[in-house]
Amino acid sequence: MSDDSHGADHAPTMHDIDKPSSLVVVFLIVIGLSAANIGLSLTGLGKLALPVQLAIGVVQACLVANYWMHLRRKDTVVTLTALSSLFFMFIMFVLTLSDYLTRHYAAM
Amino acid sequence: MSASTHSPVLKHHFDNLEQQHSAERLGMWMFLVTEVLFFGGLFCAYTAYRIWFPHEFEFASSKLILWIAVLNTALLITSSLTMTFAIRAAQLGQKKSLINYLVITFLLGAAFLGFKAFEYYTDYQEKYVPGPIFQKAYADAQHDLTHGHHPEHSPAAELAEHNAGKQPGDAGYLSPQRVQLFLCLYYIMTGIHGIHILVGLGCIAWLVLEAGLNRIPRENYSTVEVVSLYWHLVDMIWLFLMPLLYLTGAGLGKH
Amino acid sequence: MSVISAEPKALGPVPPEPETPAINYLNNNYGIWSWLLTTDHKRIGILYLLSLTVFFTVGGLAAGMVRLNLLSPSGAILTEDQYNRMFTAHGVMMLFFFLIPSIPAVFGNFFIPIMIGAKDLAFPKLNLASWYVFMLGAGFAIWAVLAGGIDTGWTLYPPYSSRYSHTNVVPGAMGAFISGFSSIMTGLNIMVTIHKMRCPGMTWGRMPLFCWALYATSFIQLLGTPVVAITLVLLMVERTAGIGIFDPSIGGDPILFQHLFWFYSHPAVYIMIIPGMGVVSEVLTCFSRKNIFGYKAVAWSSVGIGVVGFLVWSHHMFVAGISYYSALLFSLLTMFVAVPSAIKIFNWTATLYRGSITFQAPMLFTLAFLVLFTVGGVTGLFLAVLGTDIHLHDTYFVVAHFHFVMVGGMVLAYMAGVHYWWPKMTGRMYSDFWSKASAVVIFVGFFLTFVPQFVVGYHGMPRRYPNYPAEFQIYNILSTAGASILGLGYFMPSVYLTLSLFFGPKATANPWSATGLEWSIPSPPTQFNFDHVPVVVCGPYEYSIGVDQLGRTLPEPPEDGASLVKKETDVVG
Repeated sequence: MSDDSHGADHAPTMHDIDKPSSLVVVFLIVIGLSAANIGLSLTGLGKLALPVQLAIGVVQACLVANYWMHLRRKDTVVTLTALSSLFFMFIMFVLTLSDYLTRHYAAM
Repeated sequence: MSASTHSPVLKHHFDNLEQQHSAERLGMWMFLVTEVLFFGGLFCAYTAYRIWFPHEFEFASSKLILWIAVLNTALLITSSLTMTFAIRAAQLGQKKSLINYLVITFLLGAAFLGFKAFEYYTDYQEKYVPGPIFQKAYADAQHDLTHGHHPEHSPAAELAEHNAGKQPGDAGYLSPQRVQLFLCLYYIMTGIHGIHILVGLGCIAWLVLEAGLNRIPRENYSTVEVVSLYWHLVDMIWLFLMPLLYLTGAGLGKH
Repeated sequence: MSVISAEPKALGPVPPEPETPAINYLNNNYGIWSWLLTTDHKRIGILYLLSLTVFFTVGGLAAGMVRLNLLSPSGAILTEDQYNRMFTAHGVMMLFFFLIPSIPAVFGNFFIPIMIGAKDLAFPKLNLASWYVFMLGAGFAIWAVLAGGIDTGWTLYPPYSSRYSHTNVVPGAMGAFISGFSSIMTGLNIMVTIHKMRCPGMTWGRMPLFCWALYATSFIQLLGTPVVAITLVLLMVERTAGIGIFDPSIGGDPILFQHLFWFYSHPAVYIMIIPGMGVVSEVLTCFSRKNIFGYKAVAWSSVGIGVVGFLVWSHHMFVAGISYYSALLFSLLTMFVAVPSAIKIFNWTATLYRGSITFQAPMLFTLAFLVLFTVGGVTGLFLAVLGTDIHLHDTYFVVAHFHFVMVGGMVLAYMAGVHYWWPKMTGRMYSDFWSKASAVVIFVGFFLTFVPQFVVGYHGMPRRYPNYPAEFQIYNILSTAGASILGLGYFMPSVYLTLSLFFGPKATANPWSATGLEWSIPSPPTQFNFDHVPVVVCGPYEYSIGVDQLGRTLPEPPEDGASLVKKETDVVG
């Protein structure tokens, strides 16, 4: 068949099946990060709050995507698909904010 | 290959199961891309307004019910874990444990929705709803304050107390209109996320039914995996909604 | 299918005409339910073809009313309110229910699996669902139009649409919202199919350019449509609840709606035009008997348009009150999108150069596309430049510009596709004379309709106004006259194509002597397209050595004007 259907997916082999221990470790890290996020926010981070909160969210999302959604299996097309959503989100944010961040200086 | 080219779960237009599974998985990922962009529009709107009105957003966020959000975060992350165990059970062909994990996931998701509904109800009781309800509560509180009464306790009253003696444009004045803007975003974002949870619950219930009818044999585990991808994404979106909506104002006044 | 050679043999014998099977996709099943519950991608393509023809007619009639009304400076037949509803109906029907689904849903569904050697699309049930979702959305839109109409224009800008309009904004927005899901489903299906279901030997570099174009289109559908979906949800919430995030009275920004709306709706014009470019690449090579010039450039420029198309949306908003710096940035980025479009035009022109060109109907439509799309593209640059845009914004210049691209480009490419693939889809040939005549009539009518609009727009006649100064009347009369000719041109195919179904001579498997896999199977195809899995050994346009993608010698190409048919029967007309 076509070149990329040979990817890393087969009927389940032991290689594909997650180890319970790794699933639980990821769970503990993700939930721990959430707890840290809440704890840090409650102490009042001021200007640092948003970057810290978003950074924690990004780490959590990466863990979930990589381990639970199996991006680590390295099926190139799937990885590119996932990244394309981030790329176009980036375009949407940057270009929209190019308006919102500068409108106070000069509106047409 | 022969097992995978003559399986009863193989659809006629695919050559083998590997092709079918990878097509299903890629299809679901592409759907997830559309979901990310769907919420992306909301996050973009949130960002634009938060840049413009940071103080109102902090204040409005601090009046949401944090403990429910914390509990719900824990519920959702746990449900994602049980979902991954469900895939594992499907891969190993353990029907009973597959059904068990799916049911646990379903219950956790349902609990999330239950708490969310309770939270909406409480918000409504506190008149923390954008539009005439909030406006009236704010105007009443202002009226009480100018006449020396103590207003009935509510977020709108706290805002009126905060603004007492200040005029629009003064330093520290928080516009009640922009607080409502935050509330619009809050209800729409959590509401749409809740609808996604509801759809996810429907899919999980369908999986339980299929598994009970022995329609998820080992070589067809990708059905479970495809639903799990969706479930994880909804979980992931909550991981961003939670700090942006609830934690923004969590440290208010402690800085 | 019998001979599969490892090496292309240009001088081998022409393979025998495949036996026309008694059972094909059209007659393997009868009855209404065999169509309404079909999961066959070809039948779903036909369902789309029929429904789109209906919606095109509705949109066209609305356009006719608008043009008739503009015959007189004070409005000839409609009240001002009716006029607003009529142009909105025209915009909503044509954009959401004809142009966006047109080529992807009809020819994409029908031909993508065949062109890449697959039995069906990856998700046949999803494909059928997409048609039902589309019809549901169309139902909402038609309800909105019939039960009083919408007067906001198809762009639905708040706060007018959210607060002040007393018309059916919510059903109309709901229709667009729902049909968006259909668009996502079709796009997703096509992308997964192209990724996962190509037959042996069909590498990315051997894929017909139509598939590349549809790939780029689908990817815009996937990435753009959800954003407009959430925008329409926000609008419907705001209108229903009386409060929402675009509401200026609580600090909301109506321009945010425009940002999110155009984040989709500008790329959406590429959803409309890129598939047309794919059809043009197929037809142009076939009827000039030459390999495409710059295959990789044409293929990647489709993807390039898809990506750059996402960077330019705010050029619709230059006078809406966005930041000056942002406007500068978008003006610059907008000019970049001209680059990949120009790459395509240059490569097509180079393909024509020294080709053995014949002028059958598909080729006439394609050549008309080249001319009209170029005019439309170049006038687009006027609108990308900030200074001229402020003068031309929301005038008939803009109307003429996007009709040159959308109608002159897309509708003519759609007609080219219909005429090119009609023999394969139906197994019948249509009238050579009348099809050529209709191409000429449409081309002439189109020019007469829209060239006066450039002039009148440049002189300052705003779009969407029912009244205008008397000095503009002559241009509007010219334009309406052109629209009548255009309407006649659209009517002609509906007659001779329908007649061809009953009286047209039977088509051979490869009437145009084209190279694609779709021409290696009988006309019309059988239910699963291929008896054996095809093995591709050649690139998509090996006209110079005269072999198709299976490496077999091509039949003699049809002489221009000569009979294209097996039997010497009379051509209908």
